[in-house]
Amino acid sequence: MLRYILKRLGLAAITLFLLSVIVFGLSQLLPGNVARAVLGQFATQEAMDSFNHQVGADRPAIVQYLDYMRGFVQGDLGLSLASEAPVWSILEPAIINSLKLAALAFVIVVPLSILGGIAAGLRAGTGSDRSITIFGLSMSAMPEFVTGIILILVFTIWLGWLPVTAQWNEGAGPLTQVKHLLLPSVCLALVLFGYIARITRAGVIEAVDADYTRTAYLKGLPTRTVIRRHVLRNALLPTLAVVATQTSYLVGGLLIVEQLFNYQGIGLQIYLSAQQKDFTVLTSGLLLLGVLVLIVTLVADIAYGLLNPRIRFGSAE
Amino acid sequence: MDRDTRRFLEEFRRNEATPIENNLIDELVDGELDRTEFLRRGAMFGLSVGVMSSALGLVGEASAAPHGSFAGAAETVKVGGTARVGLAKWGGSLEPYKLAEAGSLGMSGIPGEYLTYSDNSNQIKPWLATSWKASKGATVWTFQLRKGVRFHNGQEMTADDVVANFKLYTGNKQSQALSIFEGILGPAGVVKKGRYTVEFRLKQATGAFPYLVSQTGYQLIIVPKSIKPDTWVKSGMIGTGPFKLKNFTEKRQYNLVRHDAYWGGRPPLDGVKVTAYETSTAMALALRAGQLDIVSAVSRLEAQPFIGNRKFRILQLPTAAHRQFTMRADDPALKDPRVRRAVALTINRPQLIEGLLRGAATLGNDTPFWTRYPSAASVAKRQRNIATAKQLLSAAGAQNLGFTITTHRLQELPDYAAAIQRYGKDAGIDIKIEVQSDAEYYGGGDDYYATTPWINKPATITEWGHRAVPNVYLTAAYASNGIWNAPHYKNAKLDAAIKSYLSAVDVKTQRKYSKEISAITQRDVPIVTAYHFVSVTPVAAKVRNFQLESINHVRLAKTWLA
Repeated sequence: MLRYILKRLGLAAITLFLLSVIVFGLSQLLPGNVARAVLGQFATQEAMDSFNHQVGADRPAIVQYLDYMRGFVQGDLGLSLASEAPVWSILEPAIINSLKLAALAFVIVVPLSILGGIAAGLRAGTGSDRSITIFGLSMSAMPEFVTGIILILVFTIWLGWLPVTAQWNEGAGPLTQVKHLLLPSVCLALVLFGYIARITRAGVIEAVDADYTRTAYLKGLPTRTVIRRHVLRNALLPTLAVVATQTSYLVGGLLIVEQLFNYQGIGLQIYLSAQQKDFTVLTSGLLLLGVLVLIVTLVADIAYGLLNPRIRFGSAE
Repeated sequence: MDRDTRRFLEEFRRNEATPIENNLIDELVDGELDRTEFLRRGAMFGLSVGVMSSALGLVGEASAAPHGSFAGAAETVKVGGTARVGLAKWGGSLEPYKLAEAGSLGMSGIPGEYLTYSDNSNQIKPWLATSWKASKGATVWTFQLRKGVRFHNGQEMTADDVVANFKLYTGNKQSQALSIFEGILGPAGVVKKGRYTVEFRLKQATGAFPYLVSQTGYQLIIVPKSIKPDTWVKSGMIGTGPFKLKNFTEKRQYNLVRHDAYWGGRPPLDGVKVTAYETSTAMALALRAGQLDIVSAVSRLEAQPFIGNRKFRILQLPTAAHRQFTMRADDPALKDPRVRRAVALTINRPQLIEGLLRGAATLGNDTPFWTRYPSAASVAKRQRNIATAKQLLSAAGAQNLGFTITTHRLQELPDYAAAIQRYGKDAGIDIKIEVQSDAEYYGGGDDYYATTPWINKPATITEWGHRAVPNVYLTAAYASNGIWNAPHYKNAKLDAAIKSYLSAVDVKTQRKYSKEISAITQRDVPIVTAYHFVSVTPVAAKVRNFQLESINHVRLAKTWLA
């Protein structure tokens, strides 16, 4: 187990290095210029040259990259090219915000979609199965901004129950924060519900038809026990993998939802950095997301192995 | 007019008046200026209220002092409360000398103030400066500063602060204000003449100089001289405005509280909470949900659902803001002025305004002069004429004209390009459209001005903000050496007319040159200006004594909440 984790960590380091090279390379291809983004489209060439020199954006690209990586491995993310503020001071609140939103969305969508998928799988072909499947597909097919605007119209403008923006005032307590995050979380939950429920449903149908389930029934085990011990344990394995892959989306891929609910998450921050060609914030943001994805994947792999005794960590790769 | 008043006016003209001031009074007497325009220009050149009233009396007009800068409605003011303001998020800096976006202008303009104020009828009014005088020829301007103005840190504003600020604005290479002052004013020309007196020695005569230092000059906020460049926000955005910064989360939320020592009287509001919004849609939804009181920069379409809703009031303001549809005068397909004129004649401007902007615009006539500029000469209205367009194309041998319009994703710009494409078809013109991202459109290589699409593509559509006077449009977009001359149009006669216009101090001369400039631009059409925006913005019905500003400033000194 320890050897497996160390190997995965080694691979993660290589992945992060490659990610930094790719992000840096792509950021060089992005149109625009950090000085232009900061000083505006009407800034003179002289003003732009002066700004680029001031923040070091006029140095050769490889020098900028090596300087940045030297700091990164020492835990220093450097300064934003656009605002000259420490990168961590920009990314930290954004990541915390994103984790809060992802956590609430996760808490809502995972139990609901798994329960929906199990219910649909156990009643495959019935009206309730079709209702759950059609509802999930419809929600998945609907763009996030449409779902979001409908939720805002109903729960904020008509009913007046919830705030329209996800951003709370400074010093707000946990309950107030949850109140602000409820609409965007529900919006995300609706988008993901269909996908997770569908995978769960397919796993349940497959497990219900499996030989080991039939054997369990023939052994005389009660239905509830068969479902808990044999059906769900096998059916949820693919669901676990899907939930793990969606975590990175829930944390870093919520640009539309963050824009609509005016929420300062990491997705929006990365998008703004790319627009501004703020290489230090962009690369750090993506690398931190990469770290998060690798951690979640590692945890999911370990959980997968624990749930599935056929997997042996020594030969997992 | 009584004898004493007449004598007072005659003595003023004989003993005190500068040639410019005497000329103004002559223009009033000769009927060249009406009452409004006389008041506007009198204020611009620093005539006292007494002199202006006497001069108006001389021609039988009711005398009237210019409106107070912060005139309020006759309603009992309710003190207290916090106004919640939504602004468009900005990507760049809040440092005054770097201001370049609507949102950051709005934010910095709450704690910050300017020397003069150009009101919504284009009259120049005292603000941090109380009066100003031009030398003969308008090359030296002397400004008297308001006494007793306190910065948020308690320090008094003096000429030292103003001089330090203007030396930065005119001398720092990164100063956005260079777009105004390049060739007009350098750091050496900003001179302290007394504790409350500042002299601006210009490199070229500029009749509209008081407008250039108003809030429509965007960056020229007066801050304490002790604040070094790029430390204004960190220092707490110390200005002289009615509200001072209490705390903030960068580019997200700014809480301001009343500046009790405000020179203009105690502001009714306790404070202001500003939230920056990534999209105008989110901002409009927040207003609709009652979570904002005031918003800036929502589009005409986003304002539509508020019309007729009693919980909101709709404010409107005509502005000089416009789109420049440029055609390169050195492009093989477009270099013949007849071709460019033909393209301009295909555009159905009233239909465009109705279709794209639901009527929230005034007609443009392919000249740099918004019709509300007093200096705008009367010009022929540009009307759609497909027959003439075809004749012009035929005469130019361009019956198979085809070109590409490049623009970017901003508000109605892509739709405007599509409309031009559709109109062009009626005259047999094949127009293609390239819509770029903001970064692409305003991006560029090492030699920015030779590579950036918005200045180098054969035809472009670019947004231009409001200016109280057309000086920046003329010098930057139309002059042969203008740094933003996207059509690459060069015309020595136009340059001479622009120079004469800029240095003219009387409206008669300005109109003479504006007519000449308009005749050239309507004939050669380097730039099509089809419409000027009317800003349409909803605010919560409980907001009192608030008016829209032409460049997204949010002035709340006398605003209160019912």
